[in-house]
Amino acid sequence: MRFFRQVWVVTVKDLRAELRTKEAINSSLAFALVILLMFSFAFDPGADTTRDIAGGLLWIVFAFAGTLVLNRSFARELPNDCLDGLIAAPVSGAALFLGKAFANFLLVLAVQLVSLPIFGVFYNVPWTKQFPELFLVLVLGTWGLTVVGTVSSALTVNIRLRELMLPMLTYPIMFPALLGAMELTAGLVTGQPIDAEKSGFLKMMVGFDIIYTAVSLVLVETILVG
Amino acid sequence: MSAVARDAVAIDIDGVWKFYGDYPALRDIRLEAAPGTCLALIGRNGAGKTTLLRVIAGFSRPGRGHIRIFGGEPRDTETRRKMGFIGHGISVYDELSAIENLTLYGKLYGLLDPERSAREWLERTGLARVANGLVREFSRGMRQRLAVARAFLHEPQVLLLDEPFTALDDKAIAVLQRLLREALAAGKTVVMSTHQLREALELASHVALLTRGQVAFHGPSTPEMVADPGYVYARYGEG
Amino acid sequence: MRDRLLYIAGGLAIVLIAYNLAQTAAQPREALFYIPLAGTAALAAFTALAASLLFLGSRNFQFDSLAVAVTEAGLAFSAASIVNGCFLLHAATGRWWNWDSRLTAALVCWLLYATYLMLRHAVQDPTERAAFSAVWSIFAFLDIPMVAATIKWWRSVSSLRTDWSGARLWNLVAMILVGILLTVVRMRQEEARRELDSLRRITHAI
Repeated sequence: MRFFRQVWVVTVKDLRAELRTKEAINSSLAFALVILLMFSFAFDPGADTTRDIAGGLLWIVFAFAGTLVLNRSFARELPNDCLDGLIAAPVSGAALFLGKAFANFLLVLAVQLVSLPIFGVFYNVPWTKQFPELFLVLVLGTWGLTVVGTVSSALTVNIRLRELMLPMLTYPIMFPALLGAMELTAGLVTGQPIDAEKSGFLKMMVGFDIIYTAVSLVLVETILVG
Repeated sequence: MSAVARDAVAIDIDGVWKFYGDYPALRDIRLEAAPGTCLALIGRNGAGKTTLLRVIAGFSRPGRGHIRIFGGEPRDTETRRKMGFIGHGISVYDELSAIENLTLYGKLYGLLDPERSAREWLERTGLARVANGLVREFSRGMRQRLAVARAFLHEPQVLLLDEPFTALDDKAIAVLQRLLREALAAGKTVVMSTHQLREALELASHVALLTRGQVAFHGPSTPEMVADPGYVYARYGEG
Repeated sequence: MRDRLLYIAGGLAIVLIAYNLAQTAAQPREALFYIPLAGTAALAAFTALAASLLFLGSRNFQFDSLAVAVTEAGLAFSAASIVNGCFLLHAATGRWWNWDSRLTAALVCWLLYATYLMLRHAVQDPTERAAFSAVWSIFAFLDIPMVAATIKWWRSVSSLRTDWSGARLWNLVAMILVGILLTVVRMRQEEARRELDSLRRITHAI
């Protein structure tokens, strides 16, 4: 029980700090909108063929914009050696990791939920038709992105080219989850329900999330303390 | 030091080595600190003082050997509850206020009434007036006093300080010395690495000299040391 | 003694390959090495996982040297198998790349382990580098089955045939021997580098 209380303390701390400066979330949202616009130039927004692939494009937007939030995750602990304070505290590495991951998850999800209606308007897709399923895919995909991204953030916190290394580490690992999310979203965003063929992707995303969350919780202590 | 009973040892550093690849930054360190004592860790730059402190505090694992704080591992959450650390950084958040920072640490350390303890320690470090101010707007001295408040907040049994008097203004030095004297009188244990020999030797009951990752001298502080801080270096160091 | 074993391994590999090439002179060359190369790369991934787990358990830096050496060797074999696969594809379909499920999965896995190397290059502290790499190697390995499955669902076609007949198996043995050779050589280099690094630190400390 204390574990979850500590997780919550870390989450609230990260959210409070972020919402006070709004650095990451503003740049993430702006970046998302810019990419959406650029995609509209690259792919004819009116064409039917574009509508078919639009769901996939959306996840590229989410992955890129999400990186800006994830980058800040452990980087925000660098000034004043705040990371030392957290590691010295009687908080397990797992609680620290989970608290940060949860804060990141909420922030990235917020950016996504703001981008979604804009995307729907730009590409003229009936994204509200299958919204519960769409939201489920969003949650599963974003949690996977968050877990892997938060681990990458911890690994790259002291590295010189952090902003470049974090996406380079995160995206290849994310391949299965991103591919699944893209396939599912492409259909859902045009109002089609998930068919049997695609349900395999859904199970895989759940499996991905469980496996990487478990492995991260076990290994994060090694990353933080060595 | 071997006359001290096992269970009365606050910090036991037993054959600790720390490696960077194959390079031993710390070599076979054996030190003990009894409760109520203050150990001053002295040595040149690069001797390994900060490395040793960080290993004791549980920031990194020793390659060989053990650290025991009251018999427990530094990475145990129960043991960490009893430890306070002040490093080179202040470890408080610029974007949060003083009271928010201390309340956060109070919650992380499982204090019963985090906010009350936070206010109390702001009072004791002379920061009650700026409790709601953002740390970003604090002067340097105020930031350092907040760091001290953070370290003492949870009434730790063991205090680990890495060059605490460096870059402190006079007010902060006075606050810290007062708090350390009170802590020592209450039976707490202090280990501090230092360049400022004079301030440290006033408080220290024991001294350890580190030279190139090894303990060159370890023993009680003597009047000669306090009178001439260079004495230990001259006698046991490498000139 | 160890050098002599390496020479024997290398010689054996050359003999095997030459013998196979002679025996299968009539068959198209591209097919002979694809499975052996890919198989050796897969074995390298397993070995990297084992080495990483052993490092985390024992903190013995020799396991770290093994992990990086076998990963680099595996990347070389994997790249070779992908290129080989492209040649096979071209022979069968006239196109150099058609998102074949097996080749695409191989490419993604190659990228995974390439990020492992990138991470190693970016971390300066040797102890931290070893620990981080071990963690990342485990992450990468766990992804392989999921990558393979997902890409299979995405593109269920694979134009490449699996052929485990005699010549391929002996070539696989030959490739594994070459792989061991490369790994050992690279391991020695890594050990030497680590010793050099520590000597440099000792010198600076004086």
